[in-house]
Amino acid sequence: DDEVHVRQKVAELNPLEVASFDQELRAVVQESMEQRKLELRGRPTLNMMIPMNVFEGSIKDHHGRVVGGESGDEALDEEAGGSREVQVKVLVKRGNKQQTKQMYIPRDCTLVQSTKQKEAAEFEE
Amino acid sequence: EEAVGDEDGGYEYGKEDFAEHACRYCGVSNPACVVRCNVPSCRKWFCNSRGNTSGSHIVNHLVRAKHKEVCLHKDSPLGETILECYNCGCRNVFLLGFISAKTESVVVLLCREPCLNVNALKDMNWDLSQWCPLIDDRCFLQWLVKIPSEKEQLRARQISAQQINKVEELWKTNPDASLEDLEKPGVDDEPQPVALKYEDAYQYQNVFAPLIKLEADYDKMMKESQSKDNVTVRWDIGLNKKRIAYFVFPKEDNELRLVPGDELRLRYSGDAAHPAWQAVGHVIKLTAQEEVALELRASQGVPVDVNHGFSVDFVWKSTSFDRMQGAMKTFAVDETSVSGYIYHHLLGHEVEVQMVRNTLPRRFGAPGLPELNASQVFAVKSVLQKPISLIQGPPGTGKTVTSAAIVYHMAKQGQGQVLVCAPSNVAVDQLAEKISATGLKVVRLCAKSREAVSSPVEHLTLHYQVQHLDTSEKSELHKLQQLKDEQGELSSSDEKKYKALKRATEREISQSADVICCTCVGAGDPRLSNFRFRQVLIDESTQATEPECLIPLVLGVKQVVLVGDHCQLGPVIMCKKAARAGLAQSLFERLILLGVKPIRLQVQYRMHPCLSEFPSNSFYEGTLQNGVTINERQSSGIDFPWPVPNRPMFFYVQMGQEEISASGTSYLNRTEAANVEKIVTTFLRSGVVPSQIGVITPYEGQRAYIVNYMSRNGALRQQLYKEIEVASVDSFQGREKDYIILSCVRSNEHQGIGFLNDPRRLNVALTRARYGIVILGNPKVLSKQALWNGLLTHYKEHECLVEGPLNNLKQSMVQFQKPKKIYN
Ligand SMILES: [Zn+2]
Ligand SMILES: [Zn+2]
Ligand SMILES: [Zn+2]
Repeated sequence: DDEVHVRQKVAELNPLEVASFDQELRAVVQESMEQRKLELRGRPTLNMMIPMNVFEGSIKDHHGRVVGGESGDEALDEEAGGSREVQVKVLVKRGNKQQTKQMYIPRDCTLVQSTKQKEAAEFEE
Repeated sequence: EEAVGDEDGGYEYGKEDFAEHACRYCGVSNPACVVRCNVPSCRKWFCNSRGNTSGSHIVNHLVRAKHKEVCLHKDSPLGETILECYNCGCRNVFLLGFISAKTESVVVLLCREPCLNVNALKDMNWDLSQWCPLIDDRCFLQWLVKIPSEKEQLRARQISAQQINKVEELWKTNPDASLEDLEKPGVDDEPQPVALKYEDAYQYQNVFAPLIKLEADYDKMMKESQSKDNVTVRWDIGLNKKRIAYFVFPKEDNELRLVPGDELRLRYSGDAAHPAWQAVGHVIKLTAQEEVALELRASQGVPVDVNHGFSVDFVWKSTSFDRMQGAMKTFAVDETSVSGYIYHHLLGHEVEVQMVRNTLPRRFGAPGLPELNASQVFAVKSVLQKPISLIQGPPGTGKTVTSAAIVYHMAKQGQGQVLVCAPSNVAVDQLAEKISATGLKVVRLCAKSREAVSSPVEHLTLHYQVQHLDTSEKSELHKLQQLKDEQGELSSSDEKKYKALKRATEREISQSADVICCTCVGAGDPRLSNFRFRQVLIDESTQATEPECLIPLVLGVKQVVLVGDHCQLGPVIMCKKAARAGLAQSLFERLILLGVKPIRLQVQYRMHPCLSEFPSNSFYEGTLQNGVTINERQSSGIDFPWPVPNRPMFFYVQMGQEEISASGTSYLNRTEAANVEKIVTTFLRSGVVPSQIGVITPYEGQRAYIVNYMSRNGALRQQLYKEIEVASVDSFQGREKDYIILSCVRSNEHQGIGFLNDPRRLNVALTRARYGIVILGNPKVLSKQALWNGLLTHYKEHECLVEGPLNNLKQSMVQFQKPKKIYN
């Protein structure tokens, strides 16, 4: 119940500051790219070991309902208050072992949008 | 001021709250919002909030430091994970991004160069066109590393882009440097002065911590230089069977004032019959003869048959300063230390007004207390409805009763225990007594070093209640206590048992109380570290420094009442540098400057109406009303030569010279001292008893001289003069006497009037007397200052400016000087 309303000064960003930061950020990215190109003479190999069991199951929303996939009944989902997040499995490596972790990502993230578009397209087919 | 022993036993204030994974820029420590820079020489944590900068803190760090690897927190959704390319293991976050499998809800991190361009990948079921960079819009992907909530960000340190650049620069040479190091003044620099508003609690700490350090260093230096040799000791044994040494410790007119609870070391260098010996003890009493009673901690080997040739040193303790520093740290890093409203308000942020939703009592008085007057009722009523309030209590206006009534109603609201503090032990005792009179259960927590110091509210003290708890389970504790008292110490297993039992009993008693009373510094006692207080009242708060006031607040406060009077003297700051930077300004005063209107108590019950007239007009805009009549303050049967009958006051014109005292740091005035003796004698002859008289003076040199002079030259029995209290004006704040004699001392026309210049000191001096006041001073010198000029004019107009022998006082025709400065 510790509600407090602070009248905040609108944090004014110094445009010069922003510009200089952007420039530095771009420089770091650029430098990283070039460094990689120098490091990796010759073709990189594909080394993606994907454990097959991760592909079991589909995108789920917060309530554990299946979105898309077999039912693909999105309208129902919207009606039910529409969770703005969807669940994904993030695949990470721990040493040589693969692990998956459940995460929620925003529905409007390009990552899932594309997946859903594809699904929708496939569904229409 | 209070002395506390080394009872904290290595307790580190504020440290326990500091999370290792807090953002090094802003302090946010939510595991879902922070990542660790994975460069081995760095390993610092940063959050994903932008604060006042264009990029988030972690991105800012990585860019500025040219660091490129990070690791997630173990309690974040992904667990402790170094972010790296799933294909090649590249850890450069500027190259990483997520891609998802074409039809499935599986995502992996992949580097942009070269893995995203590997041909073989295109054949697999991955959607490479939708690669989603890890750093987007100068921020980590928000679903991977959360952005701290608005509330979290508001309570965090408000770091600027310049500060980030500066600290990153500093880290290149000193990776462990903190942001505080940036602001730290150099040894010879003037410290940063206090401000009205602070960006955040870190900036607040940056300003106050160096000031407290300065004051602590000064205090240490001064106290440790007070050693004295060739001390003569008289031995005694206390009721608790401990050895007590009585001796005179130099005081004359130096700055050091011993208080009960101070620690001293007594040494004997040894002789043919005695080995060298030393022991530490606590001051338990200061006698009227200026003798110190020191209770020794250990009784073994004390050379009780020797009386001469001892040395005494002061043992300085950092406890009170440590607790202030700890409170400031807790205020910054612990979000639960004070409510959001109080946090922002104390820092001077603009906060929407909040009311406390509590049902108000039907009547505002409390059982066991006198009826409240209208301004007191108004104060109680408004305080109960506000999260922060200030009560200004001019002299004699009943602020203790008002405070007790407030505490009574707070305790009845059922929000848990109420914490009641004041900077001085005397004020805490007075308040504890009044609160206890309402029927509330009160525990008075004393510093361990003061447990042997006698107290008017001993029955309320925690140590007394522990000793006298009358249950059978406690017999074990009592048995051990008795054994310890008799033998001086216990076997280690018994000692362990004793300590555990004692702690449990202390806890049990404290928890069952409605109200805990202690000094502000006492609120930092480790015995209270697990307690939470939503409602806190601080009396005499204008005599505490801000960091001192903060100690009782950071225990979870949601509603705070500061009582005090900013028109009287503030806290004593010994270090001039710290005082100049504003450490002497109390929180109460700063809150007034921030627009909090103090509620003023308006009826005074102390002074004869003639005595309250000038202070009311000069210090309280004429608002002070009299709750006592002239008749109630008539000294019947007292035959004293007041120049105007029924007007028990006069200004006694003195032309004697001021002198610098022997120590070279203070002043005295022999003529004034001689006349003080004559006035005292006249009072005594007229039927006034010594306990009714107080002699006050701004100068320690004069105080010592008057004590000495009266005991040697007093016309009556010596003992009578010894019973008369002679004190400095400052030490008399908060007290009263029937008759006050004020000796002003200064009389050099070519110099200023020093201490007398402070209007708050004059206010205190003028408002101590109930029945009558005599002021001794040189009008020619004093009239140069506007306020004194006003006072002299007031006395002259009422025909109370007089000269000549006491039995034949005549109105003085002395000319005043033009005042130079206007006050207020
Ligand atoms: Zn780093
Ligand atoms: Zn941060
Ligand atoms: Zn890669």
